[in-house]
Amino acid sequence: MKTITIEALVAAAVLITWLCVLGMLRMRDPFQRMHYIAPPASLSVLFIMLAIFLQDGLKPESFKALFTALVLVGMNTVVTHAAARAFRMAEAKGWHPAKGEEVPVKATDEPDVAEPAS
Amino acid sequence: MNVWLLASQVMIFTLVPLTWLCVRGDPRHRLVAFYMAGVVTTLLLMLLTMAFNRMPLMDLALTMALMSFGGGIVFARFFARHLQ
Repeated sequence: MKTITIEALVAAAVLITWLCVLGMLRMRDPFQRMHYIAPPASLSVLFIMLAIFLQDGLKPESFKALFTALVLVGMNTVVTHAAARAFRMAEAKGWHPAKGEEVPVKATDEPDVAEPAS
Repeated sequence: MNVWLLASQVMIFTLVPLTWLCVRGDPRHRLVAFYMAGVVTTLLLMLLTMAFNRMPLMDLALTMALMSFGGGIVFARFFARHLQ
């Protein structure tokens, strides 16, 4: 039973990674493509880590795998945010507001837009 | 052949489309593919460690995860500052 569980976990990890790579190929926008990094960096690594724990038990290598999983999950969130911000800055040429320009901070700071006539 | 070796052999081929994405298109697409390749390589190193039963090699996967984190941040900052 343990062997079957390990095999299922590893197979699921590989399948998720392949599906996400194919999905990344299919997408045309870098912001859409970025979403496909998350499943391998969270689910696949979690499944592999669980499989390692099942096979080896509480050994130092298992805890290294746990730490690797934590690093990958944390890294994915930070790096994805940093990359998306960099892409947005590259798209919006004037990222910093001009001198004296009012920048809306809250949603209520936005200027009122007239309701379209129904 | 154990399941770890088989899984690593299947997973290593995900690097082919990622390499293709890394060498074509505009820099934003390349950067995203590069991030994905870092994640896949980390997973691959974990699988290969178990496949060859050389447990100290798990340090390589951990190092790869940490290095790709640093590399990702540096690339994002470089992109934001110089590739606008």
